[in-house]
Amino acid sequence: MAEIKTKDFQAASRRSIQDPQLRRALQRVGAGFDGARRENIAEVTPQVWEAWREQARRIKVHTLEHLDYYLELLDQRVTQAGGQMHYAKDAAQANAIVAQLARSRGVRIATKSKSMVSEELGLNHVLEEAGVEVYETDLGEYIIQLAGETPSHLVAPALHKTKEQVAQLLSQKLGVPLTDDIETMAAVARNALREKFLQSDLGISGANFLVAETGTLVIFTNEGNGRLCTSAPRMHIGITGMEKVIPSLQDLAVFMRLLPRSATGQRLTSYVTLVTGPRRADDEDGPEEFHLVIVDNGRSRLLADPELREALYCIRCGACLNICPVYQKVGGHAYGWVYPGPIGAVITPVLVGLGQAKDLPFASSLCGACREACPIKINLPRMLLHLRHKLAESPNADEKSSSPAETAAAHGYAGLMGRPKLLAAARGLGRLAQMPFVRDGKIPHIPLPPLSGWTKTKDLPALPPRSFRDIWDQELSRLPDKQD
Amino acid sequence: MAEAASLGTPKEEFLASVRQALGRAAVPPQPPYPALAEGLDVLESQTAAMRQRNAAQARELLHELAATAQLRGWQVYRAARADDAVEHVVAVAKSLGVRRAVRSDHDVFNALPVHAALQKLGLTVTPVVRDQQNSREALRQEIAQAELGMTGADYAVAETGSVVVLPCRGLSRLVSLVPPVHLAVVRPQNVVATLDDVLLLRRLEYYKHGGDMGSYLNFITGPSRTADIEQTLVVGVHGPREVHLVLLDYDTSSPLVGEA
Repeated sequence: MAEIKTKDFQAASRRSIQDPQLRRALQRVGAGFDGARRENIAEVTPQVWEAWREQARRIKVHTLEHLDYYLELLDQRVTQAGGQMHYAKDAAQANAIVAQLARSRGVRIATKSKSMVSEELGLNHVLEEAGVEVYETDLGEYIIQLAGETPSHLVAPALHKTKEQVAQLLSQKLGVPLTDDIETMAAVARNALREKFLQSDLGISGANFLVAETGTLVIFTNEGNGRLCTSAPRMHIGITGMEKVIPSLQDLAVFMRLLPRSATGQRLTSYVTLVTGPRRADDEDGPEEFHLVIVDNGRSRLLADPELREALYCIRCGACLNICPVYQKVGGHAYGWVYPGPIGAVITPVLVGLGQAKDLPFASSLCGACREACPIKINLPRMLLHLRHKLAESPNADEKSSSPAETAAAHGYAGLMGRPKLLAAARGLGRLAQMPFVRDGKIPHIPLPPLSGWTKTKDLPALPPRSFRDIWDQELSRLPDKQD
Repeated sequence: MAEAASLGTPKEEFLASVRQALGRAAVPPQPPYPALAEGLDVLESQTAAMRQRNAAQARELLHELAATAQLRGWQVYRAARADDAVEHVVAVAKSLGVRRAVRSDHDVFNALPVHAALQKLGLTVTPVVRDQQNSREALRQEIAQAELGMTGADYAVAETGSVVVLPCRGLSRLVSLVPPVHLAVVRPQNVVATLDDVLLLRRLEYYKHGGDMGSYLNFITGPSRTADIEQTLVVGVHGPREVHLVLLDYDTSSPLVGEA
């Protein structure tokens, strides 16, 4: 499995915020991706967009409720088309399946199109240990592979890199002259990889969707590398999470409308490729073998928790990242594992273990922008709150998110808020206690640790002379009702 | 030959763990989805209604396709006559300085003497069809060297400006992908309104042919592109940088979406 650095979230976020190049790169996320998304959605009426989201959500709800049935059907149809399904309960098993297939077929070179699941599994590393040369072929993935890094965004893995950094990297690793022309850089990658495509024995792809009815793997790409990976080598292995199934080919249409618009603001990606089994006897080209590896790796824990199941509806468009005020500041790497942003903050703690990723559910202001942007209407804020609750109430010391003092303070606060008379008394005391610290209606600094943490980076608003409750009792409740 | 065995966790064990997670470990899966039980007759009547709908707005669909395709980066040409279409293809090849071209074996080229016209110009044109002289490997080399790949289109989608190509015998997956320029010839009878239309037609084919929908289907919507470096758009990464759509406007001999 990919290295887990989720415990480092706070320190990594601080480093990110202080990195001027990363800040510059992240500014493009909001203006670029999210701007394009909004523009493209505006081409259809809000009613139509809403109807698509509802339809897609219904399909996902239904499929996951009957996931066993649809996996069984998918298996039957993949087999009927001449392919072979494999099941992996965890990362080690998934990697072992691919490595064994590669070894037994004498694979020397593998070309890969973008797959977040393979990033999650740490597949490249395992294949390299098995003696296979592995080439990422999506331009962004190729860049981060050359740099020895991990993706920082679901859709644009090298988003954190400036063109100067990419030019340096290409020059160092491939010995090409430095350039500031992005088109030239893309051409360098094209030429380097074209050769590998023609030599490759194994193409590895992820899947955006799996159609149970026909046993079809569907990928959405813009560069054409996905088509090459699934056409040129003599074997194709698709590897993906078990939640990617949809029932019927007919169900694909709505996702074709939602995914590209939400991901990159396109009406449709340059290519949508449907692969059904290996090449047939008459076909001019295509792989001789087709394998599909279905991965659990913690997903059944999401499936089993009714509060978290909807995290499996995610189609990995990245819209929730692009709009998230936290992601926009700290970037993808700070999240410490493969899936960043709001969706990462929900699924990572469940997939890697709650105790490993205690900070992630708190990496949100709960503003709800992610839920609004999500094409499947996934209620991310609700799930973040649910995980916070689990962390706060956990009997397990590894998972417990708050100190005993914090817990006591929270219980005290809850008790206070539930008793109006007590609250009024506390407010009176508070007004007295704050007096030495108030400057212009704000408290810029509390000198008393641990409370000083509150004012480290922001001013605390002072308690006003009259509370809303006072104003209500004394004036507002006596106003005559307005007549329309 | 491929080992038939499944690796990793046995299917039954994996599915049992899924059922466990769903909280109904003891209940066997029931067929839950009515649409999957639709018989061929239902699909046929849906298709007939779709064809009728599209035929009623045939001209509008062509306009919509041309407009959407242009927006998605196709260079669209609407040919008024067959010789007009041929002249246009020749002009494209000339302006690009093409010396080697490959083409698929779509039957649209039987009625459109593009091949001969390009040969007359001195180009090498290779139809990608395996025979005694042309092995798979030889054809692959030819495609890798070609500067222009020409295909027909099994469907064209007005909603998205997409050309759909179904590779099979005589229709390489690589002709529309590997050469730097792709030219697709579209007949009006292959134009449909929406993505749903294409998927419905494929489902019909699937059930008609005893559950085989062919190994591959591609929706091609404009040139190959990337924005992976600083979100700056670059065309022609691994696929074609330039794509041409030649719409045979004059060809109204067959009904819209003729028997596929």
